[in-house]
Amino acid sequence: MVQSIILSGVAVGCVYALIAIAYNVMFSASRVFSFTAGTLGMLGGVLGSLFILRMGLPVSVGFVLALAGGAVFGIITEIVAVRPVLKSLDQHLYVLSTLALALMVQQFTAIEWSTEPQPFPRLFDIARIDFDQQFWLPMLACAVSIVGLELLYRHTLIGYAFLAISEDNYAARALGLPERGLRMASFAIAGAIGALAGFAGGEMLLAFFANAPMLTFYGFVPVALGGMGNNRGAVVAGLLLGLFQQAANFLVGGIFASVAVFTVFIVVLLARPDGLAGASLRRRV
Amino acid sequence: MDTQVTQPLSPPRADVPVASASIASALLPFAALLVVGLAFPLFGGGYWGVIATRACVYWVLVSGLNLVVGFAGQIAIGWVALLTLGAYTTSVLVAGNVMPAWPPYLALAASAVVGAVFGLIIGLPALRLRTFYFAITTLGFATIVTQVALAWQSVTGGGVGVPGPIFPPPFSSQWGFYYFCFGLAAICTWMTANIAASRFGRALAAIRDAEVAAEASGISKPALLVTVFLFAGAAAAVAGGLFASLQSYITPDAFTIDLSILFFIAILIGGRSSIIGPLLGTILLTVLPEFAAPLVAWSTFLYAVLLLVIVLVIPGGIAEMLDFKNRRPLESDRAIVPRPELVARLFGAASGAGALTLQQVALSFGGVKAIDGLDLEIRPGQVHGLIGPNGSGKTTTLNVISGYYAPQRGEVRLNGAALPEAALHLRAEKRIARTFQTPRIVGSASVLENVMIGGTIDGQATFVESLLSLPRHWRDEARLREAAMLALSTVGLERLAQVRADRLQHSELRFTEIARALMLRPAFLLLDEPAAGLSVDEIARLGALIIAISRAGTGVLLVEHHPDLIFDICHHVTVLNLGKTLAAGTPADIRSHREVVNAYLGG
Amino acid sequence: MPISAADPLLDVSGLSSGYGKIGVLRGIDFKVGAGEVVALLGPNGAGKTTLLRAVSGLLPWSGTVRFGGRDLAGLSPRDTVKSGLAHVVEGHRVFTQLDVIDNLLLAAYDLPRGERTARIEEVLALFPEIAAKRHERAAWLSGGQQQILAVAQGLIRRPRLLMLDEPSAGLSPVLVDRVLVVVQRLRESGTAVLLVEQLIEKALALADRVYALARGSIVLEAQANEADLPHRLEQAYMTGGSK
Repeated sequence: MVQSIILSGVAVGCVYALIAIAYNVMFSASRVFSFTAGTLGMLGGVLGSLFILRMGLPVSVGFVLALAGGAVFGIITEIVAVRPVLKSLDQHLYVLSTLALALMVQQFTAIEWSTEPQPFPRLFDIARIDFDQQFWLPMLACAVSIVGLELLYRHTLIGYAFLAISEDNYAARALGLPERGLRMASFAIAGAIGALAGFAGGEMLLAFFANAPMLTFYGFVPVALGGMGNNRGAVVAGLLLGLFQQAANFLVGGIFASVAVFTVFIVVLLARPDGLAGASLRRRV
Repeated sequence: MDTQVTQPLSPPRADVPVASASIASALLPFAALLVVGLAFPLFGGGYWGVIATRACVYWVLVSGLNLVVGFAGQIAIGWVALLTLGAYTTSVLVAGNVMPAWPPYLALAASAVVGAVFGLIIGLPALRLRTFYFAITTLGFATIVTQVALAWQSVTGGGVGVPGPIFPPPFSSQWGFYYFCFGLAAICTWMTANIAASRFGRALAAIRDAEVAAEASGISKPALLVTVFLFAGAAAAVAGGLFASLQSYITPDAFTIDLSILFFIAILIGGRSSIIGPLLGTILLTVLPEFAAPLVAWSTFLYAVLLLVIVLVIPGGIAEMLDFKNRRPLESDRAIVPRPELVARLFGAASGAGALTLQQVALSFGGVKAIDGLDLEIRPGQVHGLIGPNGSGKTTTLNVISGYYAPQRGEVRLNGAALPEAALHLRAEKRIARTFQTPRIVGSASVLENVMIGGTIDGQATFVESLLSLPRHWRDEARLREAAMLALSTVGLERLAQVRADRLQHSELRFTEIARALMLRPAFLLLDEPAAGLSVDEIARLGALIIAISRAGTGVLLVEHHPDLIFDICHHVTVLNLGKTLAAGTPADIRSHREVVNAYLGG
Repeated sequence: MPISAADPLLDVSGLSSGYGKIGVLRGIDFKVGAGEVVALLGPNGAGKTTLLRAVSGLLPWSGTVRFGGRDLAGLSPRDTVKSGLAHVVEGHRVFTQLDVIDNLLLAAYDLPRGERTARIEEVLALFPEIAAKRHERAAWLSGGQQQILAVAQGLIRRPRLLMLDEPSAGLSPVLVDRVLVVVQRLRESGTAVLLVEQLIEKALALADRVYALARGSIVLEAQANEADLPHRLEQAYMTGGSK
């Protein structure tokens, strides 16, 4: 029983952590929190089920297409909901534009795909065991993403460029860096990571349009607690959240588990509005 | 606070006809809706009666939420939680499965109280959290409440639900109940319109669009937000009780996030600081699915599309589209001609104030010493200039005096008594007023309303008195309006009183800020680079105005770059460099001081 | 003031710019010739930084700006850098999370990969004090070293015109001289420099020509070696105009 809680807790925690990373990548590139992060997770699951189950494509092809779909939605988000709003003086508009876009995609999925959760394919045709693929797939996805982002930010020129526009957008522009292209690329990467979360967690969460609001919230909790823009904090907080949620599910049942999660979240946030680790990026004043 | 002792100035000719015409045109849509609503049963059938009742019920909620979202600018997306609470509270009390059954009106009143309390609980995080974080927490609340309704079977009937309350005759028939809801909707419209036209409505807009300026005018954000959350919560809960009655039977899945989105979007497409906009928005969104019959399933999708279009294309919403008077072109080549002789009338009797002093004030940011042991004295009736190169600490000094920063060492004293540290919103009651480097105004409000914000703390009517349009509210408004017109005449902008502030040129906004600051009849006026962006003529007129203000007894601190303004009008000048006083004396002293010239010009 | 027979490298006329509603520059005319060092002086708030931002494309502007014969209207900062115009912004802003080499790599972003290392070495040869710290994170450099790094970044693309915004701000006198020696060398190698400075004497010692800006307009234009210049500058700042 404990083993099952730990396995499912860490697995779902990895899904939340990946959504949190998607939030952070979008935030680093634009100083904007986008409501579309949870929708990306939902799309990963729905597109995976669409391509592999309904259209019968091979798993690898479906995987690539699902991630590509996420990347495309990320770019659309940047062009339609973020870029026009960054120019305006009212900083709160981005909340509304990204919310609108997220809602549109969620509702479209509910109507055209299904209002009920649909099955997600079993990716590797092997027997079920305790440490089953539905658990280690999200963990693998999370680990690969973290390692990949580290490599990107620390060892590639484009990764340095992402760090530069995140730390000091003005100096980066003056230096001649292609700020707009870099921002779009960041949103594409965030899109792929979000879709990866939903795809890897597909067997657990199924292909369900209502995963979007659920992931919007549960994916944001690690961001808030781990500190804005802080990926390491987000992963730790995501894992803790997953474990806490599964334990609460077991102890007091599903409904009160979500009340418990929410209460803890609110209490911690009110005590430490900048998260437990504090904002990691030093803003230039 | 001194009451106004001056003779009322006769209002400038341009104002009177515009004022009454604009009031009439503002009331017209409400009057039309009132007539249509009252007459509705005559031409609407039973089905449309349900839709109309539903629109009224939704509006009861949205009218309250409008103060939170449309006026205060708080992104409270999950307000359906309060609809749920109100619906269940009323239904459960009336059904009597927990305790002996309550009469429906009493149950409705009780749920209003419950709603107020929970409105406060849901809203309080707004005082601590960033915008996006707060939006997420309200969504979380909405989910939680629905889940609790599902789980708490003994009280709420769980997934099976409870019957809604039935109100006694004459409100038990369909049309009777319609008139009941319509009446409540009309009352909510009236009450929130009263708030909109009161100092509270203007203060809410100030918090939303110019928070620091609002605080500098003495507006307390927490107090105001608490008040509107209480009201919005109560309204939403009452709407919930009505909703339960309309549905006849409620289950948790009647309270979807989609409803929350509907309420929120109705306000956004309606536009900010508007009553008629969100009202029309609510009606539109309630009725739209009925006309787009095959698209009913797509209704939330369409709401989202509408929201996106509004945000990108017309952020001002329906209210902006209906704002015809602000489409009239303004005269070009407008000159700002202040009337310094009016300052004495505006201020009334000068009360004696002591000096404002800084003693050995020090403040560092990170490793950088912004101010390093500064002594300064501003005396009433004098213009004290503060100059120095970039980074010398001028603006930081002004921010410390106005309470935006707390000094790490040293003290700021008024009349010998230390001023509370880092308490920007308490400066107004000490009659210390300030302006800002970049004008901070409420763009969507008129110039007159922006200036009236400066007099918010002089108002005596309480929120409830304004809500119910009681006499003290009207006296406040009349007094504030008169004072604001006088202030505008003093700075030379009275002809632009009714114009929306974001249509003004930069220099006009500067003078608007000064008029706003003058509303406090300040003992001390802190001006942060007021000449930036002004033409040579305007700077000269600004100088004359500042001199008149100082002659009326105010101590003026003038932080400036422009040497002409400083040398022409200051009685005393302090030169800062690297956070310390480099030199202090009369303008003549400073001008010939070798080190000053070098530091100021570089070398 | 005649400069040379050839067209100036940077030719600005009627330049106006500002921030939203706040107009700062009111119809500026000035020129920088190839290989010239031009100093731009003026009190705070005059618009010097705004002017550089407008020319490099960081701010919207109106008027005419021609660089090397090419019209800069509508160009982004990236495009102006590609045309050979580098802008080193005020405040020694380097990317603190990256090391010195990577900061320079970013400046070489648009160069072909093969050339990047060579350019970086070329620039580091000019600045031994940061060459010694090539693998240190920029956060650990002193303010002066960061400023030198910022200038180095500006030089990676071998610009025809380098615009420096108050490079001496916050530097010790020794480092100020270091930076200004580099400016001297740049002039010798044919790079033009537009230098915004608060230190009048140092700027005059280095420059060929001088403009003074006050309240958004050019109030003085002179050769740097003209007599009585400091006094005339003072007059110009205080009263707003003398040629």
